[in-house]
Amino acid sequence: MGFSTGLASESYDRQYSNKTLLGRVWAYARPERKRILVILLTVLLQGGLGALPPVIVAKVLDEGIAGIPNQQAFYFLTALVILLELLGYLFYYVNHRLLARVIADINRSLSTDAFASSMRQDMAFHDVFSSGKIVSRITTDTRDFSTLITLTMDVANNLVQSIVTAFILLNAEWHLALLFFLTIPVFILFVSLYRKLARRVSRQGMRAMANVNATIKETISGIAVAKNFRQEESIYQEFKQSNTISFRTNIKRGLVLSTVFPTTRTLGALATAMLVYFGAISVTQGIITAGAWYLFILSTERFLQPILSITSYWTQVQTGLSAAERILALIDAEHTVLQRGSFQPEKFKGKIDFNHLRFGYANGKTVLKDFTLHIHEGENIAIVGHTGAGKTSIARLIARFYEFQDGELLIDDTDIRAYDLHALRQHMGLVTQVPFLFEGTVEENIRFSQPGITRAEILSLARQIGGGEWLDTFADGLDTRVGERGAQISMGQRQLVALLRVLAQNPAVFILDEATASIDPFTEKQIQTALNLILKQSTSVLIAHRLSTVQSADRIIVLREGAIIEEGTHAQLLSQAGHYSELYNTYFRHQSLEYVEQAGS
Amino acid sequence: MSISEFSIPFRYKTNKANPFAWLFSHTLHHWAVFLAALVGAAGNAALAAVPAVQFGIVFTNLTSGSPDKNVFIRAAIIITYTQVIRGLFQLMRNFGFEATAQKIERDVRDEFYINLLGKSMTFHALQSVGDLMARATNDIREVNFLFSPGINMVIGSINFLFIPLIISWEINPSLLLTPLLFILTYFLSILLYLKKLKPITGKVRGSFGMMNSRLAEAIDGVETVKAAAQEENEIGLFQRNIGAYRNASVEQGDMEARFLPLLLLALAMGFGLLHALILFQNGVIPLGDVIKYFSALSLLGFPTHTSIHSYSQISLGIAGARRLLSIMNAENNLDKNDGGNADQLQGEVSFSDVSFSYDAHNSALQNISFRVQPGQTVAIVGQTGSGKTTLVRLINRTYDPGSGSVQIDGVDLRNWKLDTLRSQISIIEQDIFLFSKSIFENIAFSKPTASREEVEDAAKKAQAHAFISSLPEAYDTVIGERGVTLSGGQRQRIALARAFLTDPKILILDDSTSAIDSQTEDEIQRAIKAASEGRTTFIITHRLSQIRWADLIIVMRQGSIADIGTHADLMRTSSSYRNIFTEI
Repeated sequence: MGFSTGLASESYDRQYSNKTLLGRVWAYARPERKRILVILLTVLLQGGLGALPPVIVAKVLDEGIAGIPNQQAFYFLTALVILLELLGYLFYYVNHRLLARVIADINRSLSTDAFASSMRQDMAFHDVFSSGKIVSRITTDTRDFSTLITLTMDVANNLVQSIVTAFILLNAEWHLALLFFLTIPVFILFVSLYRKLARRVSRQGMRAMANVNATIKETISGIAVAKNFRQEESIYQEFKQSNTISFRTNIKRGLVLSTVFPTTRTLGALATAMLVYFGAISVTQGIITAGAWYLFILSTERFLQPILSITSYWTQVQTGLSAAERILALIDAEHTVLQRGSFQPEKFKGKIDFNHLRFGYANGKTVLKDFTLHIHEGENIAIVGHTGAGKTSIARLIARFYEFQDGELLIDDTDIRAYDLHALRQHMGLVTQVPFLFEGTVEENIRFSQPGITRAEILSLARQIGGGEWLDTFADGLDTRVGERGAQISMGQRQLVALLRVLAQNPAVFILDEATASIDPFTEKQIQTALNLILKQSTSVLIAHRLSTVQSADRIIVLREGAIIEEGTHAQLLSQAGHYSELYNTYFRHQSLEYVEQAGS
Repeated sequence: MSISEFSIPFRYKTNKANPFAWLFSHTLHHWAVFLAALVGAAGNAALAAVPAVQFGIVFTNLTSGSPDKNVFIRAAIIITYTQVIRGLFQLMRNFGFEATAQKIERDVRDEFYINLLGKSMTFHALQSVGDLMARATNDIREVNFLFSPGINMVIGSINFLFIPLIISWEINPSLLLTPLLFILTYFLSILLYLKKLKPITGKVRGSFGMMNSRLAEAIDGVETVKAAAQEENEIGLFQRNIGAYRNASVEQGDMEARFLPLLLLALAMGFGLLHALILFQNGVIPLGDVIKYFSALSLLGFPTHTSIHSYSQISLGIAGARRLLSIMNAENNLDKNDGGNADQLQGEVSFSDVSFSYDAHNSALQNISFRVQPGQTVAIVGQTGSGKTTLVRLINRTYDPGSGSVQIDGVDLRNWKLDTLRSQISIIEQDIFLFSKSIFENIAFSKPTASREEVEDAAKKAQAHAFISSLPEAYDTVIGERGVTLSGGQRQRIALARAFLTDPKILILDDSTSAIDSQTEDEIQRAIKAASEGRTTFIITHRLSQIRWADLIIVMRQGSIADIGTHADLMRTSSSYRNIFTEI
């Protein structure tokens, strides 16, 4: 799990040309350019230094063989070795510190931009793209991209070391060096063949792991049911089977992955054995010195290791670049809701007019064709209709979550597009069907839309509902933590908190998409009280699912296929025996007292 | 022998006293592979020194004035042979550790799961599934990594710390000085490093978790954020969170940059070379030995470089093992009570002065007393947190009361055989869990031997047959596949069918499903009514009609019974009860 969640492509994804992609990536790296320069410098020096010790040792040896026990020279060379190693450490130190900063900072600016972009996107965008995938782009993809920076530095380091070593070897004895270079294609061939195999078993392993994780999740969630029916044995067998399959796949994968280092090592050692022999022969023939021979021997590892690494890095580089592409696509995704003005009135009255409005979602389906509706200041209207009739669209257009295609929508007789979006929404209170709370206390959640409100004010609002008794159902009153997404408190409590949030905000327009979840009758009564308080002070648009809410509206709008077909009060509409009474029999009848009295008797 | 509700013996005994003992006892069981890995590691390390020795021999020969071709050939052949064998040893080491890791992952997960199955319902009711999941996957994975690459790298590389000692000893005992000093300071600095790294990595993980969860929340709740015009505040909050993560990461980078063993290695290489050269100059050792010694010292580089990662891998694995053990060693307070009463249940339930609390601070139930006749239907109503669910959980002995007594058919629950009790009491939970299997298998889960007819019959009684038949593959439809999702009402009726199949004497129904339309509501009503016939039924319900028609209504409030009686009684005596019936 998690491996592939971020990898699936989305319709806002785009292909950047290499030039654009690199240009964009560079824009994020640019503020770090001084650090990057120093890092590159240390990498070059590190790579160069890494190739040097064998040269020095070879020098020592040649001096020694020459039979001139020059003590001065020995001390000098030793000091040089220490100096080089110390410099190497110093470069590592500087490099590692700077790299940590560069990566963390680029990561931060990329994530922040990606997050800000997704926050500013319209609801049309969020409707289509799952939040899990967006989150994975903001966290996983940015991290994959940062890994690319580390990798690039590693590759650079290895390349430099290889090149410097190659020069040293060529300089020492070019015949032998060329002979030595002939082995490189063999290694590259081996590595690329191996890479294919490794990718296959890795993919199998990941798939097996995803399956096992799914079974584990299921068998752990199912324990309670199994216990209930004393079926522990059968659920255990199921778990065991998938655990065994996972083991078999992983051990196969382990075998393939375990062979790579022993094999390349052995190949390298064979190359060394060849060098030992041919090199020694060359020494006896006077072609190279004994010191140079030793230099070759010591350099094989240093030369071959980077080549082995570079070949395997390439796939990871591709991973990093496509991660960058995915983050940029998220940052660049286009907005559809566009404001033309930035009107910021002091107060809103709450008058809403739809005039011949046409609206459809991005998929081309028209929801509202020629929609006209006038809502007076302070009026409470309930919208009823079957699923897909367009109830939610009306509410969401008022909240300016979507762009409409034709006609007009006026708030207080001014085009909704002329307002500053921020100012507009500050005067609108919205409660979604599943009220959304954030991790934090009850108090923090009530304060969410009105950051300035005091605790005393919140308490006085809370007491308007059943004397504040509902707060006693929380373990720590206003300081109770609600858990992620409000998971630690009940649905009914979440609705109360969401309504309190609107009461605290005191908006001119209130939009309610009523929950369908069932709530205990005691909490239900408190919710009704809170609702009545809000209805008194604002213009309200209610998408009603409860009979009591429909009944409390001033006017009921009956929608069918995006058109208003009936309107009036509950009693008026019922007596008409039209679409409303059909809706009533479908959705509301079972909530009535008559039904309660008749059912189950 | 520890007590548990259900026991399959795990294949071998493990010592769960602490993470080290526990992992050791698992390792011991797989001693053969582990030993092979160790042998591989030792062989690999021993042969790794051979080329260095051969270089020295060839070099000495080359500089001796009378070079001998045979010496070169022999050296090349020895290197070839030993290094091919070394490759095999290395494979044995790598695969040996990998196999140990995989076997232990499998067994640890098996042991963990068996242990979970043996835990009481109390445990499972309080433990979040997500947390158990994380332990059964991520933490067990960490234990795997502890062995491979963790221990593999440490053991594989530790050998390379000691080989230079042997070579030094052979050349000249005084040359032991540098490698010995290095090893000593190496271990000291690793210990120090790990100690300093621990709080920092904790900070990194903590700040990442915080950023990630708020981020996920903000995107899930984007509608709420937008409606409240709080986008800019959320972006600010994200910037603060990611800033904390950035600082922690930089701190970790700085800590790693100071990795002392790298500095020690630099010094060891230099002073070692100097020492050998001085000995050479004084004629104590030949030049070939200087080479041998220098090559041997460069072997120290491998353990130094790998230790940056391998030790943190091990400490992560130990932390994972500790988290697993904390669950496995959690106390289990109920046992199977196999010798207890095993009579057929009649269904009479009585509570006398029962109190219960989950922890020392808050009491969940106080002084609950009531009696229910066999076959009666009891409705339990009250606000969230008033103790409704806790109350019904005492009936199937999920928990034992703190004081007072719960009796079925006049016998205290503690004197019943647990199996008898549980197999005749069925609970349908608020969140109904269905397996990703066919509907048939889901219903037959409670009775694997059930025939097709029995299952369909149960589904009919539960008013589920009609909607199941309308699904593309009827009873063979796999839940969750190809977008087959069921509504709350449908899930509930499948759970009811599951219960019908076992024909329990007592049925407990935690009913919070709501029907969106009146027809579904009719079906649910009929199903529950059918389910309650002929058995004692407890319903936690929000449905006024069920409350209205129950034989007994218990109104809970803050852990106590606020009112109890029939609908007629309560309409007369209880004002809060009357309220809910007058305002609809």
